[in-house]
Amino acid sequence: MPQHPLDPVRLDRRRLLQWSACATGLLFSAGLQARAQSSNARIVIVGGGAAGMAMANRLSRRLDGARITLIEPREVHHYQPGWTLVASGVWRPEKTMRSNARFVPGGVDWVRQPAAGIDAPGRQVELSDGTRLDYDYLVVATGLQLNYHLIDGMSPELVGTHGIGSVYASIEGAARTRDTIDAWIAQGQGKGIFTAAPTPVKCAGAPLKMTFTTLSRLEASGRRNDFQVDFLAPGDALFSQPWVDDFVKQRFDEQGVTRRHHYRLSAIDPRAREAEFTFVGPDSEFTSHHELREAEFSREDGRTVVTDYDFIHVVPPMSAPDFIKTSDLVARDGPFRGEWLDVDIHTLQHNRYPDVFGIGDVIGAPINKTAASVKAQAPVVEANLMAQMQGQTLPARHNGYTSCPMITGIGKAMLVEFGYDDNFAFLPSFPFIDPKDESWVAWVMKDRMLQPAYYAVLEGQA
Amino acid sequence: MTFSGALTILMYALTPFLWPIAAGVVALVVVHLLARLRGYRMMAYRCPGASLAAMAAGVSALWWIPAFTHSRLAYVSSVFDWVAMIAAIIGMSLVVWLALHPFSYLLRGRRSRFL
Repeated sequence: MPQHPLDPVRLDRRRLLQWSACATGLLFSAGLQARAQSSNARIVIVGGGAAGMAMANRLSRRLDGARITLIEPREVHHYQPGWTLVASGVWRPEKTMRSNARFVPGGVDWVRQPAAGIDAPGRQVELSDGTRLDYDYLVVATGLQLNYHLIDGMSPELVGTHGIGSVYASIEGAARTRDTIDAWIAQGQGKGIFTAAPTPVKCAGAPLKMTFTTLSRLEASGRRNDFQVDFLAPGDALFSQPWVDDFVKQRFDEQGVTRRHHYRLSAIDPRAREAEFTFVGPDSEFTSHHELREAEFSREDGRTVVTDYDFIHVVPPMSAPDFIKTSDLVARDGPFRGEWLDVDIHTLQHNRYPDVFGIGDVIGAPINKTAASVKAQAPVVEANLMAQMQGQTLPARHNGYTSCPMITGIGKAMLVEFGYDDNFAFLPSFPFIDPKDESWVAWVMKDRMLQPAYYAVLEGQA
Repeated sequence: MTFSGALTILMYALTPFLWPIAAGVVALVVVHLLARLRGYRMMAYRCPGASLAAMAAGVSALWWIPAFTHSRLAYVSSVFDWVAMIAAIIGMSLVVWLALHPFSYLLRGRRSRFL
C-alpha cells in the first residue's frame, strides 16, 4: 500500500537498517576521515600541556608504527583557563585538576622528566638527567616561562603574601590570590593596582578578567566607593582586538578604574607594600617587547613612579622557556627574536628546520596564547606534519583563531573570537552569539562548557 | 567537529551530574510504572495542582538557574540569553509536570482494576 507523504513514518525493517547504517557511519566518520598512515619515524613531542597532549593523541591515531615520545614531567594536568575563576572565588581549585595519565594515549612513550635542551642540527632532545633522545620530527609544545625575576623584588612565592596576587603563578597561586583579594575586601577600603606585562602573555584577557571580577566583588560588598582601583599597562592597548580594547577602556572608565598607560611594573617592595613602575614611552606596545626588554628592564634611563598599594595583581613578563631561548630554534630576527619559537604563523612549521613544528604558547605569534588557539592549531600541525613526512606540500594554514571568554563581571561575559586577518577581525563560531554582547550564555559557556571542550581537545576529538 | 568529538564534550559536561540525572530518570520511570499499574492514563487524568506546581517550578528557575551557573537574572540580557532561559524554563516545567502528575494520581489512592 503506497504511503501518503503526510503519514507518520513507519519503522519497517528496511528503514531501521538504513538508519542503523547512517548512525554507524556518523559514529565512525572521524575514523574514516583520518585514515592511519604507516611510518617508523621517531616523533618527539616536548611538553604535555594542552598542545602537546592534543598532538600526542592525534598523531598516535594517525600514525601506525611510529615511535612517539611525549616529554612531560607533571603527573597532574591543570585546566589553566579555569584559574581566573578560582582566583575570583567562583571555582574550587580541585575542579581544574586531572591526572595526566588519563589523557596520555596508549602506545605513546611518556617520559616523566623535563627537557633541558634541544640540539636542532643534531636532531636530539636532551633531558634533565642528561639522556638524549633522537628524533626525526619534533613538535615543540613546551608552553611558556613566567619571568617574575624581571620584576625586582618579586618571586612567585610572594603570591598570597603582603597583598600580592597573581593568577598566572600556579593553581596554588590562583587560590592564594583569591584569599588576598578576600582580605583586601575585608579591610573595607584601600587601593588595588592591576597590571599588564610588557610582553605577549598567555590568556591576554586574564589581567582584565581579574580586574572585572574583583570590581564585581567590590560592588557586591556595598562599599565600592571606599576602594581605589588602578590599572597600569605598558602599552596603549589593553587588548589586541581593537573593538574589545575600546570596550574595556570605556567600561573601566565607567566603573571608576583609573587607567595609566605606558607604565610597566619594574620593582616591588612587599614589606612596604610599594610598587615601582617605569615609564616606557608612547612607542612601546606588546609586540615590541624585545626592544622594551632591552631598553627598559635595565632601569638605567627610565622614569619611575613609586606607589603604595593594599592589593596588587602582578602579571609577569613571559617568554619561551630558557632551553628554547638558548637553542637554535629561537627566532633570530623580527619582533619575537631571542624570546619565542621561530615558526611560520600559518603553517606552524619552523622557519629553518622543516622537521620541527611548534604549537601553543611557545610560538612567536602576535596573538594565540590560549587553549582555544590550540584547538585550531592542532589539526593544522597534524596535517602539515603528515604531509612533511610524505614529502608533500603543507596543506593546512592556521588563520590565527583565538578565543577569549571576556568575563566582564562575575556572571556575565563576551565570547570574543578573532584571528590574524583584517586587524584581528571577529571569527564567531556561533551565529546566534554576538561577540559584542555581554551575555549570560557566554558566561555559562565559560563556567560549564569550555572545560569539557578543552578535555575533548586534549583527546584529539575537537 | 566530529560526532565523536561532540559526544566526548557531552560526556565530560554530564559526568559531574551523572548520578543525579540517573536517579531522577529512575524515579520518573518508577512513578510512571506504578501509576500506570494503578490505572493512570496521562491524557485522561486531570490534576490542576500538578500543572500549577510545574508552572511554579518553571518560574522559580528564573532565580535558581542563574544561581546554579554562578550568575544572576539581571545578566540574562541578549536575545539568545532569553531564548536559552525560556527553553530551560519550559524544560523544567515539563519534567516537574511529568513527575508530579502521576505522583498526584498515586497520592489520591486510585487503584487499577487490574490490582
